Amino acid sequence: MGLGDLLPGGGTQKSEGGLGMFGASSPTFLTTKIDFVINWGRRNSLWPMPFGTACCAIEMMAAAASNFDLARFGMERMSFSPRQADVLICAGRVPYKLAPVLRRIWDQMPQPKWCVSMGACASSGGVFDVYSMVQGIDTIVPVDVYVPGCPPRPEGLIYGLMMIQEKIREESLSRHFEHRAEDPALVAQAKANETEIVGLTGPFGNSTLQEKRSDGAALSPDE
Amino acid sequence: MATRTVELEVGRNPEMGIDGRPAQSPLRPFDVPEPDFGTEEMLINIGPQHPATHGVLRLICELDGETVMSVTPDIGYLHSSFEKLGEYRTWNQIVPLTDRMDYLAPLIYNCAYVMSVEKLMGIEVTERCKVVRVICMELDRIFGHLLWLGTTAIDVGAFTPFLYAFQQRERIYGLHESLTGARITTSATRVGGMMADLPVGWLNSLLGFLDTFPNTLHEIDRLLTGNQIHIGRTQGVGAISAAEAINYGLTGPNLRATGVDYDVRKDRPYYDYETYDFEVPVGEHGDCYDRYLCRMEEMRQSVQILHQAMARLPGGPINVQDTNVSLPSKTDCMSDMESMIHHFKLITDGIPAPEGDCYLAIEGSKGELGMYVVAEEGGTKPVRWRVRPPSFVNLSTIAKLAEGHLVSDLIMINASLDIVLGEIDR
Amino acid sequence: MTDRPLGGLDAVERGPLPSESGATSSFVSIEGESDHPSVAALRARFGSAIQRHRVSAGDQTVVWIDAAKSLEILTWLKDDPGQKYDMMSDVTGVDYGNGRPVEVVYQMFSTTHKRELRLRCPLPLDALEIDSVAGLWHSANWLEREVYDLFGVTFKGHPDLRRILMPQDYAEGHPLRKDFPLRGRFSRAEQTRRALAQDVERFYGAQELVEGGEPQQVFARPARDSGAEG
Repeated sequence: MGLGDLLPGGGTQKSEGGLGMFGASSPTFLTTKIDFVINWGRRNSLWPMPFGTACCAIEMMAAAASNFDLARFGMERMSFSPRQADVLICAGRVPYKLAPVLRRIWDQMPQPKWCVSMGACASSGGVFDVYSMVQGIDTIVPVDVYVPGCPPRPEGLIYGLMMIQEKIREESLSRHFEHRAEDPALVAQAKANETEIVGLTGPFGNSTLQEKRSDGAALSPDE
Repeated sequence: MATRTVELEVGRNPEMGIDGRPAQSPLRPFDVPEPDFGTEEMLINIGPQHPATHGVLRLICELDGETVMSVTPDIGYLHSSFEKLGEYRTWNQIVPLTDRMDYLAPLIYNCAYVMSVEKLMGIEVTERCKVVRVICMELDRIFGHLLWLGTTAIDVGAFTPFLYAFQQRERIYGLHESLTGARITTSATRVGGMMADLPVGWLNSLLGFLDTFPNTLHEIDRLLTGNQIHIGRTQGVGAISAAEAINYGLTGPNLRATGVDYDVRKDRPYYDYETYDFEVPVGEHGDCYDRYLCRMEEMRQSVQILHQAMARLPGGPINVQDTNVSLPSKTDCMSDMESMIHHFKLITDGIPAPEGDCYLAIEGSKGELGMYVVAEEGGTKPVRWRVRPPSFVNLSTIAKLAEGHLVSDLIMINASLDIVLGEIDR
Repeated sequence: MTDRPLGGLDAVERGPLPSESGATSSFVSIEGESDHPSVAALRARFGSAIQRHRVSAGDQTVVWIDAAKSLEILTWLKDDPGQKYDMMSDVTGVDYGNGRPVEVVYQMFSTTHKRELRLRCPLPLDALEIDSVAGLWHSANWLEREVYDLFGVTFKGHPDLRRILMPQDYAEGHPLRKDFPLRGRFSRAEQTRRALAQDVERFYGAQELVEGGEPQQVFARPARDSGAEG
């Protein structure tokens, strides 16, 4: 029993790009051990990229301050440069004017990266079903964890970050391309296509009046 | 008006210019002439995602080397159309929107909005409500100034005041939460009163906070006020004269730092502020250092006002006892048909307003906060709800304040203006 | 309580109330009843340019003036020693809808006399322009830009009339007008597409930062197809 038996594909398989012996086969003893170490390292030293815009940013700052202390999760070093960040915490409402900035920050982050949508406004537009507000940043960037609340308590944000840690725990190098592959053609494009956006952003509940004009009349069909 | 001059044991370096010339650092260990740097003109962009812009603000700077030739703020990256949303909501439904504008001092916005609507409708709140609202507003003035203090200090590299200030803010968060159920988005007021009266023991908690808060403030004071690095970063930086400050519409501590004695609580008093014994700190040079001193002193004065307000808090109902305005109690609703009908009408329809408009200005933590509401006869929603945000007008002066300074001074000036993008962009 | 027919339990469903009274006869010019010193002085000096005044919300004096003479009146209010309104607190607009004129509202305060005054200038919908007072009060610079952005009122003589809150190439119109739907004129997909098509560094090259540049052109009712750019 040599190393070739431990490695997937007997060690002679050449995979298509990148990881050599950790190709697209099933995980083995060696890969799971290495997965464990790498995931442990990644999840306990996440450097958050705080994309704070509004009230949720204040709760994020409170989560980083002494009482709730993100430092004990390894996240004390808030990375304001996306090039050095692991997890994008979008805290606060994102208007359409800010949308390309958010997308650009996301694109500038190197893999591995995750995204936390903190608060109701980032997750779905929140209270603001208006002309200027993005109805959920998941139309623009891929989101891993949504933290509800308006604003969520710091404990809520910490729970969301712990869910990211759980997600990282489940990752595997043998599924590297599944997790980490990015198509360069999709840079600066929206994450969701038109159908998804229409599906995600319709008016709901009490906001059906948004389909009316400000003076109470219904929108005419050609508007 | 009687004035009392405060003497500080911190000298002003006579070499520091106060009319927009770059400040010289007092720390000059080596006496060598500065080499002639070949500088380059460039256009750089600060923000909208930036740790030191205090929100999503974009500053477009034309630089000559490190000297700012011009700075153009680009705002609108947080435009949430609060004002248009308000046109679709009844008077009380707008109160939760007001928290989200100035999220650093939400109770002030809550109070300012309902005060304006009450003035329009001609509603006089109870004495207890007035004093409770004064307590809320002064508490949030401290709250907002603490955040300003922490973030300004951390912008120039002082991390400790940030942690100290946030620790004190956590205590105020606790007070917010026991009063309203929410830490930041309090929505504490309603037209005609408050959402609820003070809970049992709340005043004791507030007293506990006020007993120890001045000590922390003193500690932060010791760290920053006499600190030569802080002085070098703030004295002479971003100065403006009094006449220009008025013309540019600066209000709040920014204006008072220039020497203009304008505080809405003293000049257009509301809620018996003329009967409270407090002083308004007025600066002299109009630079960042004077703004810092004004805000520090304002926090101490707010502590005084809070003590007085707690002492004079009367009993009685917190809400106006008029079921056309305030919700009747649940017991009444369940037993009395008329109360039930009033409750139903108030929730589903809202309070009808008389025809007219009302602009009410109060002294917010950032400056003169004005709420302008326009109503139609019998209207349960505003025709127009306008917030006159102090930070919007304050930020427009940054082009004037920062010209000729270094980029690092620009960051300090931006921090010292105490802006909040939620109210700028609305 | 007024007897308005409720459209179901949700009163909010009715949308915001436009003004139903197109006529202005509900306003009564209360001659001599306002003890605000500026009102008498304004009437004495400007006569017919002062349309009417009233006292609103108990003690707030509001004066309606002709938009054509607004610059002259405001200059006098700023400079005259008896008036001395040195602080322009707020410039905003009010759109009542239903074809009523848009009103530009000036809220002023005098730090010397400790007085405040509100002026309103009605502008007909086909002539939404008024003289800019940004030369008198620097605080009006950004405030007028915001009125331009959100209402479409052009301020003649403004040094830098550009959109301030909406993106520079915003093509859906002027948001705070009553005929502008809350969710905007384009579909969400179209808004997302346009948002991400923005070049975040556009509009601020050095040559574009010159003050006094042409105000950005906006079409109030863009064509339905998404090919139309503002």
